Amino acid sequence: MRVPISWLRQYVDLPEDADTIADRLAMLGFPVEDIVRRPLVTGVVVGKIVALEKHPNADRLQVGKIDVGSGTPLTIATAATNVALNQTIPVATIGAQLPAIKIERRKMRGVESEGMMVSADELALPPDWFEDGIMQLDEGTPLGTNVVELFGLADDVLDVEVTSNRVDAMSILGLARELAASYGVPLRAPSFDNPGTGEDPAGTAPSVTLETADCTRFVAQQFDSVRVGPAPAWMRIRLALAGQRPINNLVDVSNYVMLETAQPLHFYDASRVSGRHFIVRDARPDETLHTLDGEDRKLTPQSFVIADGDKVLALAGLMGGAQSEVRPETTAIVLESANFNGARVRRMAMSLAMRTEASSRHEKTLAPALTDMGAARAAQLLVQLGAHAYRPHPFGSNVFDADVITLTVRDVRRLLGLQLDADRMSAHLRALGCNVVTAADVLTVTPPLWRRDLTMAADLVEEIARMEGYDEIEAIEPSVPSHEISSGQYLLENRMADTLAALGYHEIANYALQGVDMQRPLEQSGITPSHKIVEIRNPLSEDQRYLRWALGPAMLRYLGRIGAPMRVFEIGHVFSLDERPIVEEAVLAFGFSAPRLDEPAWRDSHFLRLKGDAEALIRAVCGVEVTAARDVRTGYHPGKTAVLLHDGREVATLGQIDPRVARAFDIDMPVYLSNIYLDNVPLYRIPRYRPPSKFPSTYRDLAVVVDLDVAAERIREIVQRAIGELCTGVRVFDEYRGPQVGEGRKSLAVRATIQRSDATITDAEADQVMKRVLEALQRDVGASIRE
Amino acid sequence: MSDLANSLSDLERRFAGAAAHAADTRELDAARVAFLGRSGEVTLLRRSIGQLPASERPDAGKVINAAVERMESVFERESARIANLAFEAELSREIDVTFPSIEPAAGTIHPIRRVLRDACAYFERRGFAVVLGPEVEPDYYNFDALNIPPTHPAREGFDSFFITDTLLLRPHTSPMQIRTMQQHAPPIAVVAPGRCYRRDAVDARHLFQFNQVEGLLVAEGIHFGHLKGMLTGLCRELFGSDQRVRFRPSFFPFTEPSAEVDTTCPKCKASGEPCNMCGGSGWIELGGSGMVHPNVLREVGYDPDVYTGWAFGFGIERLGLTRYDIDDIRRFVDSDPDFLKQLA
Repeated sequence: MRVPISWLRQYVDLPEDADTIADRLAMLGFPVEDIVRRPLVTGVVVGKIVALEKHPNADRLQVGKIDVGSGTPLTIATAATNVALNQTIPVATIGAQLPAIKIERRKMRGVESEGMMVSADELALPPDWFEDGIMQLDEGTPLGTNVVELFGLADDVLDVEVTSNRVDAMSILGLARELAASYGVPLRAPSFDNPGTGEDPAGTAPSVTLETADCTRFVAQQFDSVRVGPAPAWMRIRLALAGQRPINNLVDVSNYVMLETAQPLHFYDASRVSGRHFIVRDARPDETLHTLDGEDRKLTPQSFVIADGDKVLALAGLMGGAQSEVRPETTAIVLESANFNGARVRRMAMSLAMRTEASSRHEKTLAPALTDMGAARAAQLLVQLGAHAYRPHPFGSNVFDADVITLTVRDVRRLLGLQLDADRMSAHLRALGCNVVTAADVLTVTPPLWRRDLTMAADLVEEIARMEGYDEIEAIEPSVPSHEISSGQYLLENRMADTLAALGYHEIANYALQGVDMQRPLEQSGITPSHKIVEIRNPLSEDQRYLRWALGPAMLRYLGRIGAPMRVFEIGHVFSLDERPIVEEAVLAFGFSAPRLDEPAWRDSHFLRLKGDAEALIRAVCGVEVTAARDVRTGYHPGKTAVLLHDGREVATLGQIDPRVARAFDIDMPVYLSNIYLDNVPLYRIPRYRPPSKFPSTYRDLAVVVDLDVAAERIREIVQRAIGELCTGVRVFDEYRGPQVGEGRKSLAVRATIQRSDATITDAEADQVMKRVLEALQRDVGASIRE
Repeated sequence: MSDLANSLSDLERRFAGAAAHAADTRELDAARVAFLGRSGEVTLLRRSIGQLPASERPDAGKVINAAVERMESVFERESARIANLAFEAELSREIDVTFPSIEPAAGTIHPIRRVLRDACAYFERRGFAVVLGPEVEPDYYNFDALNIPPTHPAREGFDSFFITDTLLLRPHTSPMQIRTMQQHAPPIAVVAPGRCYRRDAVDARHLFQFNQVEGLLVAEGIHFGHLKGMLTGLCRELFGSDQRVRFRPSFFPFTEPSAEVDTTCPKCKASGEPCNMCGGSGWIELGGSGMVHPNVLREVGYDPDVYTGWAFGFGIERLGLTRYDIDDIRRFVDSDPDFLKQLA
């Protein structure tokens, strides 16, 4: 909201400097987003054109005699065409400083000009919003008065942000009250006495029927003897400084009062309201309204309107209709100062895709008491403009005092840590307009009529804190009480991240919302996800319509984009639809793209590296060993996919990405990926130490030839079981396929380590053991031994 | 006899001097030839023995031999010295220590996790637990339980992604306040980092997904001063001990009183110079905070007359941009290898 400091000064004495005021407002909870600096303008005074004639030497110029209230009138030539005898105008005298020029004595086509008649532009006001030519001031303004001081043109304008709970402060008066209370200076609030006291002419009194509970109060007041024309200069200038375009005296009064008090108003041409009877009701199906911005609006079911018996007059709290709008010939008007349910106004405004200054206030639900205050201020201003005011007619609920709140000295101490006495607390609250009765340490507080946000002790504590200053509250480090809440999940994720970083993986963070483009490469490869994908109802763009159901696709997209071999991991949530509304799981994915190796097709060192990393990771975060088993997963290489099991439960899946999928993601290298669902990760088990035997071990290597489908892990198991407790290690350390072992067979090299804990093992014993091993291998998997 | 002795000791002293000054084998050998060579000084002296009386000759011979022995050992010592010098000179030529290092094949932790971890670590050291929660939340946790009823205008401030009428991607981490308090009896001391989503158009300062860290401390006797103390400590931990922290009144439905938290811009240190980090204001906005609203405490069955508490929610990306002087928030999601390696 644009707040001219000059307007604030009408109600409260403030420091000179705009930055100081802005800082104070920020520390009261009203951050200033921008300070609009006003240019330096001096030497402009009020003058009156007492003579005007054509320039002797120039057709387009006129020469005026301007009375500026001192001695001889000044002779000033002008090219403006809107000047006329007896106009009161701003005049820049010799030596005056305007934003673009300094005024000096000069000759214009032979005529000595002693100054310059001034336009709005030259006073740094929006030229489109004022007269085309010389600005017109009001007759009777004392001649010679300094224009800059008179209209507060030198003071900067603040762009103030007001939080949604403080709609009362979406007003100059509201912010002035905050500043007055904070600085401890008096507030010069205007009177809210309504000058309209007389009864309306017989049969013309306005009446209101409230058919919807969404209008809580409606003050209607009739005025006649209205003459529509420009508003006085001071009002137009104030509005312009506040960013509001002046229109005519009636529209300007309604805007002025809204900016001053926060209460939006609307004026109806009285002659166009059938029976002067207003009905506030829901919009009917297929109803339309030609609004005063010239648009035809089809009313929505959320809409509610002000109507008369025949037609819709206005969208409640949002915008008036063109038909009952004030026109140049209007002489009688009815003022609406109403209070609406903010939620309803907001729903209507959203459904119609409209927002106005009025609706931005109504949608936060104003205090009903503001209706009377707004009507009173409007009546005062209209009377000043020569209108006649009849008495206001309030409809709807009466205005009651807010509920009383009990506040204790202890409340302030326990929430703020501030030790304040009751007197100081009540002084702060009174400055904000509260009524406070103090008894010992207990305050009985009635919030002011215009505040709806003060409903409990905590609210008042914040008011006291704001007035005292948040800076005054001492920063203390608390002693944190002990509790039994676990950090387990967080620690697990961090251990995983640290382990993977140590293994050479880089952590990345992809978007969790994805478009169909992430799906397309999979579809191209003939893959449909096994999960139902979660769709966002209101995405901002197509590339964020779906919630990711796996981390893999974005990771492949990343590796495709990078183009060079890279090891990456990501920890994040994935989502899918199930019988339950939604399934959300935390997942770790890690993997890499890597150059093709010169290896036989039946060997893949990259795969073994990935498996080694996965095993090391699980060992590091769980303290347990896992075993691998062949598996098949959609999107993975049919022959290079495995699960890692612990106690028969799946902990991780891993494998090479199906080369067709990789290609669809623009990766022309082998890619390997592993997924771990964090819920499947076993709890950390503390490993137990086994002291090594004091006696030397021995080992035996053997080459066994088995069928291709006999897994190395199976061989390891058989050998280990056969050796029994003497076995301290079995490792399959090489594989060979080729003509020497024959079609459909492979040779595996195995080393078994044998050791006794009570004595040195003898060769005879070892040989005995190995005999059992060979028998077992032959029996279980038909292995033959290669010499 | 004493003439001979004098000559010899002079000769020995001069030889020792020459040998000690020898820089290499050639110079040392030259000294040796000059003194001990066939026509060296010692040989000349030895020849002069013949002029001595016969009775003195044997002794003179012994004296000279003893001197020659000492000189030989000087020669040995010095030639060892020269050999060492040569070896060291050779070693010193072996490598250029400034040659580019061999990089370890280490991976990296994403800068967002680093910031998040450092923030959490500050609280963990003070006895807080770190809890995680779901990103898809019912509106009850996102709004209703946080004192934001359906008609509340503050709901508009959270421009959220909806999945159904009542299910949405959380626009803040505050649902974790409710979840934690429903699961545990007071006292509560937790921080809850995690990902949040809002319908923001993506640009250099905005992402539609971002991370927050939520803090919640509820116990008897907790007040606003404790909030200031803890968050001031956090900022000093993250940005240095000279950080100032400012609390400004604000409005959040789930806290009362409420405060926005700013800290002095670590880049320009509020010098007033134009600064791309803070826009010249000298302050960086960290997020919202305040005393937990009595309605929120009541919602989870805590008695607000017994328990008080504070909560805060800070944006992690904002902290990250500030901490690493990053020009564009999208770099966090791009995760380019160079970006990750620079900030590792």
